[in-house]
Amino acid sequence: MSAIHDTQASLLEIAAPRLRFMAETLREVARRPSALIGGAMIAMVLIVSLSFPLFYSVDPLEQDLMARFTPPVWQDGGSWHYPLGTDNLGRDVLVRLLYGSRVSLLVGFSAVLVAELAGILLGLFSGYYGGKLDSLIMRVADIFMAYPFMLLTISVIAVLGSSIFNLILVLGLSDWVTYARTIRGSVLSLKKKEFVEASRAIGTPHRVIIFRHILPNVFSPMLVLGTLRVANIIIWESGLSFLGMGVPPPMPTWGRMLAEGRLYITDAWWLVTLPGLAIMVTILSINLLGDGLRDALDPRLRNV
Amino acid sequence: MGIMLQYLFKRLWHTVFVLIGISMISFFFIHLSGDPVMLMLPGDASTQEIETLREQLGFNDPLYAQYLRFAGNAAQGEFGNSLYYKVPAMALILERLPASLELAAAAMLIALVVAVPIGIVSAVRRGSMVDMGSMLGALFGLSMPHFWLGIMMIMLFSVKLGWLPTSGRGSLAQLVMPSLALGMSLMAMFARLTRSVMLEVLSLDYIRTARSKGLKESVVIYKHALKNAMIPLVTVAGMQFGFLLGGTVIIETVFAWPGVGRLVVQAIFNRDYPLVQATVLVLSVIFVAVNFLVDMLYMYLDPQISYFEDK
Amino acid sequence: MKRWSLLSLVALMAIALAVSPPPATAKDTLVVMQEAEPVGLDLMQSSIQTTMSVCYNIHDTLFHPQEDATVLPALAEKWEKIDDLTWKITLRKDAIFHNGEPVNAAAVKFSYDRINSEDLKSPNKGKLSAFTDLNVIDDHTFTIKTKEPYAPGLYMLGYYLPIVPPKYIQEVGNEKYNTDPVGSGPYRLKKWARGDEIVLEAFDKYYGPKPAYKTVIFKANPEESSRIAAMLTGEADVISGVPVLQRKRLEDSGKAYLTPQMGVMPYMGINTYEAPFNDVRVRQALNYAIDKELINKALFDGKAIICAGPISPRTFGHSPTLKPYPYDPAKARKLLKAAGHPDGIEARLAYPTYMAQIQEQAEAIAANMTKAGFKVTLEPFERAVMWERYKGKKHQLYIYWWDDAPEPDRYMYSLFNSTSRDYYYKNTAVDELLDKGRTVMDRAERAKVYAQIDEMLYQDAPWAFLYVVPEVFGVANDVDYQGRRDGFLNMRYAKPKM
Repeated sequence: MSAIHDTQASLLEIAAPRLRFMAETLREVARRPSALIGGAMIAMVLIVSLSFPLFYSVDPLEQDLMARFTPPVWQDGGSWHYPLGTDNLGRDVLVRLLYGSRVSLLVGFSAVLVAELAGILLGLFSGYYGGKLDSLIMRVADIFMAYPFMLLTISVIAVLGSSIFNLILVLGLSDWVTYARTIRGSVLSLKKKEFVEASRAIGTPHRVIIFRHILPNVFSPMLVLGTLRVANIIIWESGLSFLGMGVPPPMPTWGRMLAEGRLYITDAWWLVTLPGLAIMVTILSINLLGDGLRDALDPRLRNV
Repeated sequence: MGIMLQYLFKRLWHTVFVLIGISMISFFFIHLSGDPVMLMLPGDASTQEIETLREQLGFNDPLYAQYLRFAGNAAQGEFGNSLYYKVPAMALILERLPASLELAAAAMLIALVVAVPIGIVSAVRRGSMVDMGSMLGALFGLSMPHFWLGIMMIMLFSVKLGWLPTSGRGSLAQLVMPSLALGMSLMAMFARLTRSVMLEVLSLDYIRTARSKGLKESVVIYKHALKNAMIPLVTVAGMQFGFLLGGTVIIETVFAWPGVGRLVVQAIFNRDYPLVQATVLVLSVIFVAVNFLVDMLYMYLDPQISYFEDK
Repeated sequence: MKRWSLLSLVALMAIALAVSPPPATAKDTLVVMQEAEPVGLDLMQSSIQTTMSVCYNIHDTLFHPQEDATVLPALAEKWEKIDDLTWKITLRKDAIFHNGEPVNAAAVKFSYDRINSEDLKSPNKGKLSAFTDLNVIDDHTFTIKTKEPYAPGLYMLGYYLPIVPPKYIQEVGNEKYNTDPVGSGPYRLKKWARGDEIVLEAFDKYYGPKPAYKTVIFKANPEESSRIAAMLTGEADVISGVPVLQRKRLEDSGKAYLTPQMGVMPYMGINTYEAPFNDVRVRQALNYAIDKELINKALFDGKAIICAGPISPRTFGHSPTLKPYPYDPAKARKLLKAAGHPDGIEARLAYPTYMAQIQEQAEAIAANMTKAGFKVTLEPFERAVMWERYKGKKHQLYIYWWDDAPEPDRYMYSLFNSTSRDYYYKNTAVDELLDKGRTVMDRAERAKVYAQIDEMLYQDAPWAFLYVVPEVFGVANDVDYQGRRDGFLNMRYAKPKM
């Protein structure tokens, strides 16, 4: 009897605030115009990037060498056949931009997931168990902080070779520190909260406390941080592509389109300008959303 | 004072740990990525010649032995010769470092000089057109890849208008575009940071008190509010400076800026082990040192800060 | 408050706008901008184009190699053949090094020993491997011997044996010599600001004609568009690495003209040791699969020269009767089918990423091949990995390039003689002919030997033969400079245009 009662109580204890929290969150987020605009924009980007083959099915690899450097339609010499012109091999720039969005978004979001996963686990353990494990994890975090990020990723890619998967892994695993530190801070303060101390007192196993009591409470900072970091990762990915260490051809990516386009900067402005704009719009909408989420959920993160 | 010393000692120990960790990571990754012997010899070199050179350079020893040798030499400040340039690696770095420091410092300076006033105005006139405009601008600044901005500037200011030289280092004119491109996102970040910190400070009690005492608004803002807002600003600026040095790689490429970033990326591509290891270590030492200084400054600005990690 | 931010903005704009414009270069100074900075300035220690270019301004050799693979006197004044294996060479008497040391037979001997020495590890040692012995006769005369008769001997000496000062090098050592070289060329090193510029000044005691420009500054910029912009703004007087697409723009600017230099000869190497490319029909199919005409028209504005066999059509010794493999995907498919691959072949095509133009070509070629039944996976590798895999025989198909030197032995021997590189192809008949080609002293006879090699390799198709892309230098209108086939930026030949 009493065991059942306990379970119900703890379920209620966990579920009710979470529901309330979710509802509150939504209301809070909806009150921020920046979050709404950003959210709508990024939703648009996502929808377009997933569904464009339905209304614009062109092969991004199809070359028409004699039509290379066709300008966008609104310029002299442009045509509707290539709405945003062609690149140095006569490939359709519009469809390459659209495909590029997939790579950027995939790499951006997956790498953040990897980073969050690593960061959350390490941060939780570090903060919850403390002691030697904590110092070890924090020292390793120091190492990752002080190691010049670009050089770390380039050297790792030099060892592993470049592919989408490796890129996600490398970018993700190089970027766990911020999450781990934030989580650790939250855990340290949560550890002293009554409900955690209470469940510990009644002998609840550590993993239950960690994953059921503490984890849900660090959800919102992680969401906010993650959103803001997606933007950074996308920029880094394009930077690596720029240095020739990103996703290998023929798959089009924004960073590589930009890097290749800069060779033709004086003759085909659209090749370097458009991918940059695409990156900017995407990042801008993610940042808007992230800002809104932060203001709504976790104003303490303002300085991150 | 005892606590202070204890704290310093602990920091020092952490630093040593971090540097050893970094040297290990850089060592193993660069060694795992393939050996430079092939690149150093001409295409028609015999297997015999390849083996000889490998033996001479000590690449046939087990990796841990090579690392210990490297660490031992490094501890004595000896980093060996660059395999590619055939001169001491440290000399090469020291030759290039001023250029990188100059670029990072210029970017930081531009960012702070522009961003802090903007941030203050935005905070003081919260909700005004100025505020909204500059925060929107800052958001754009944050959302641009800096190398793209650099290329766009070259396109406009050098190719179209012919106002500024495209590349190189030496004159002030050559510093303008790279430092602006590099500093843009910092500028955006500082403007946002300054604004939010100022907002927080301005809502604090003592500011209200000061205002109610009838002090002039400018005095309130500059003397009382800004002083407090400086603390987080200094911390973030210090940290960013460290990041900046390691992050100038692409901008240095775009503008042919002769800094360490380009040097070390080429060194990675050339598998120039000594040069890569030395550069990574130097950049990390600078990062750690700057952070240490910032911490000291932090303590000075805010004596109440705890010297212990866990609050 | 407002004033403050305004003030700082104004100050910033003032900095941005009021900074000094790029300094106009004085008439006696020439600024040369290359793709990369030299790694060192000892000609014996480097085989990198951009490095050697600077070196040839500082170091002189015995001969001036010419465009038709003959030589003219430089430090050597006269030479005669004593027998098929021996040249007797007389030095001029008025040449000195920049530090005052005399250029004499002892210095030549020292230089010869130095390039062959173990601890220098000169990458150019192999290029002189035909020579066996150098003997000093008197202060200004010496003999040099080869194992076999060696037709390109003087030409190779003209490129790869810089004469260096013995006393200075013994004093400072190889390492310092690489950063502070002393040569006997028309220019001496004045200052090397690493990462920025190399300043050379005319050597006033130079034995040859005085160079027209008192100072030559070598700069480096890896970005193509920046080099072009530098040329247009007058920051640079001579630039290398002008991509095909930018050439017209440079010419139309009214500020600069183009001068041809070496040709880049890309090729697709084939691993002939492994299936399916051990079958000659598959290799020929590959040759039929590439639309070289279209690539030439689209990517090179029709300026490339299409190759039939491995010897460049601009190089002495190529076979004049060969016709390039035409683009014929149907025939390629037929050959594949005959070789037992009716459904086509999967292939890996590797290329290095540090040359943007090569990537463009690789992608175009891969698209061609797909139409002829090859399913291509592109394998972009950074420089070190590409080279390591090349030597480790790990490539299946790969794109590399060579320059189309006027002397066929310079690249054919390295690439196809299996005693030199035996990575992907071995043919004893070709080996023998290549050995023979070195020893035939009569020029017409020699041309026949190389034509025969060209034809054999055309049939056996160890490469997919591509094209030669003539490179150009961009030169400012007030400078008179003709590029040369070796592609080196030898500024002794530059002069102000009248």
